[in-house]
Amino acid sequence: MSNRRIPLAWKNLTHDWRRLAVAIAGIAFAVLLMFTQVGFQNALFDSQVKIIDDMQGELFLISKAKYTLAAEKRFPLSRIYQARSCSGVQGAYPVFSELTTSMLRKMEGGIGNPGYPLRSIGFYLDDPIFRAPEIREQINRLRQPDTALIDRKSKAKKFAFPRNDDQLLAQQAVELTNKKVTLVGTFAMGTDFAHDGNLIMGAENFAKYFPHRKRFGDPLSVIDIGVVHVQDGFKIESVQDLLSRTLGNDVDILTRDEFRTQEINFWDKSTPIGTIFLAGKMIGFVVGMVICYQVIFSDIADHMPEFATLKAMGYPTRYFIRLILVESMLLSLLGFIPGAIASRVLYSGLSAQTGLLMTMTDHGVAFVYAATVAMCVASGMLAVRKLLSADPASLF
Amino acid sequence: MTEQTTIPATSGAFTDGMLLPRTVKVENLNHFFGEGELRKQALFSNNLEVRRGEIVIMTGPSGSGKTTLLTLIGSLRSVQEGSLLVLGNELCGADRDLIVRLRREMGFIFQAHNLFESLTAFQNVNMAAELVGLDPMIAEGRITSLLTRLGLGDRIHYKPNSLSGGQKQRVAIARGLVHKPKLILADEPTAALDEKSGREVVTLFQELARDEGCTIIMVTHDNRILDVADRIVNMVDGTIKSDVAVQETSVICEFLKDFPLFSDLTPTTLAEIADQMMVHKAEPGKTVIRQGEAGNLFYLIRSGSVDVLIDEGQSKKKVAELKQGQYFGEAALITDEPRNATIVAKEKSVFYALGKEDFRAVLATSATFEEELRQALFNR
Repeated sequence: MSNRRIPLAWKNLTHDWRRLAVAIAGIAFAVLLMFTQVGFQNALFDSQVKIIDDMQGELFLISKAKYTLAAEKRFPLSRIYQARSCSGVQGAYPVFSELTTSMLRKMEGGIGNPGYPLRSIGFYLDDPIFRAPEIREQINRLRQPDTALIDRKSKAKKFAFPRNDDQLLAQQAVELTNKKVTLVGTFAMGTDFAHDGNLIMGAENFAKYFPHRKRFGDPLSVIDIGVVHVQDGFKIESVQDLLSRTLGNDVDILTRDEFRTQEINFWDKSTPIGTIFLAGKMIGFVVGMVICYQVIFSDIADHMPEFATLKAMGYPTRYFIRLILVESMLLSLLGFIPGAIASRVLYSGLSAQTGLLMTMTDHGVAFVYAATVAMCVASGMLAVRKLLSADPASLF
Repeated sequence: MTEQTTIPATSGAFTDGMLLPRTVKVENLNHFFGEGELRKQALFSNNLEVRRGEIVIMTGPSGSGKTTLLTLIGSLRSVQEGSLLVLGNELCGADRDLIVRLRREMGFIFQAHNLFESLTAFQNVNMAAELVGLDPMIAEGRITSLLTRLGLGDRIHYKPNSLSGGQKQRVAIARGLVHKPKLILADEPTAALDEKSGREVVTLFQELARDEGCTIIMVTHDNRILDVADRIVNMVDGTIKSDVAVQETSVICEFLKDFPLFSDLTPTTLAEIADQMMVHKAEPGKTVIRQGEAGNLFYLIRSGSVDVLIDEGQSKKKVAELKQGQYFGEAALITDEPRNATIVAKEKSVFYALGKEDFRAVLATSATFEEELRQALFNR
């Protein structure tokens, strides 16, 4: 025991366990606040791009005017044909989507509520669009007229349908855009900040429900997303390059990552959402800093004569700075662990509740931990000035 | 003539033994508190020398500046005016590095124990040992033996809140001593202690001073421990009123007591006389007093020896030789006549001289003195 230096920072911190508990609780709370913000932000972004993640294909065609998935900007079907003709393209498939006019309502006693909007996604049932096996398994059910699959993660309040019993679900009286629809099964996709639910259906049914997509002509002649499969042996970038040279300049050809990034950037930069979350994170940071400062400051204030004695003994300034630095690091670690555990619990609770994708990513954990350390160290360095003012001359 | 100094005889600046190096040398030290209009002088051109291994006790009423002087010596306050040498380093204008280095060579014992509640007695003491980079094995042995010595052998791994006030103070003392400081500065170290442990502490101080050459400066009002002092410094109103080397003063008093006129005086009066004497120095062959001149000083030979010469026309006749502890120059003061002999230093000598006025004032204290004196002169 005498072989090691006395861990004064640790001893001082753990001496009064009541104070330590309060400190840990405070910092954990700040950590929780920050995790909540990070979680919601990630949830927003991840939920927003969930449909991209759920789709197959290496390249995506979207209208240049489509700044976000929820923007109903389309491009002509001819671009799909053009894409199909390019070398290296194994296949190019159209995906149709509707949101604003896509009102789904449950009929009750012949009347029913006004209905709520959800995203209807249409595609040619033989095209390889979705990855999920459960969708592929139910493709044949969608071949029936007036059928659709409903996202069982859709908001339960607005879309109160039985989700575990397909039989029961099919018996529900449901209308989409005032036309009868039979919900023949469910799939999982999830909601996001723009969409409260999802329906998928075959292109023919989709055209029937949304004939108004194109004022004159075939509603299936305007495309929301084009999914491009690149042939094996071709580089995605070179195919992308070829496509952008071949296709008109009204479409963007994006790789999966570019598509995701563009969508996330829209929410992060072009909406106040990024700023709101930043503010939220900063509030957590400031709350944590105040708590941390309070803890370290009162620890210093309570031990002024002792620190002054150490100064008289010849302990240099850098010893005290290091002492407080270690103390803040310890505090940040001690506060972070329970904070992260609590956040994890909160995440799973919120995910279950809202259908948002609340996952604790490595990036998020690293960010919050870095912020916690910064918060504790910053407040420690603010408080250390008090310690440095300890005057050994006052001891005699 | 002799080289007259302004050094009081009782300062102990001259002893017959070897002079040890100075641990502390204070010269013309002034100190002020406050700024501008509120600036108030706390120390007025103080001079003090403390030598290696000395135990100095500082006394004086509160507000007399002794604590200020102690913090200045301890480099806990920066020196404003004058010179302050501590362990060979000038503190006036010293940089932080020097001060930090110097502080590690000192041991501080404060009135309050200032122990970390979170550390055990052992760890608190070890804070001092660690700082000077003491080998952990050696440190452990030293801490254990110090604490045991101070009666805390069974409480080495207790935390301060399970120790009594006196025990805590003893831990703080151990912390001040563990790194074998060259200079210990203590403020009422025994105030919180009972007689027995207070005695143990000062005995420890004495051992450190004797065996390690450790210098100890201590502010105390505890007269139970005055006996350990080599020197007692009394401060009043920011000035050192008296700075008395206990050993030297007792030597002077012994010498004075041998002087027939003073043999009846009480120790207190003798100490007062000693206090008024000044140091004079003379090189070999130098004339200390000359026959025929007016006399105004009484001399006591502290060290060296002198020849007593009487003029006989052209030549001088040596009538006597005086040695350490003997005195001369008294006759001219008593009779108001010129010096009746010439005194020449035989070797490098140091005298303690008493002024005529002071000398007479002492004589006046007792009427029997004059009687005795006449008798003495008659018998010569």
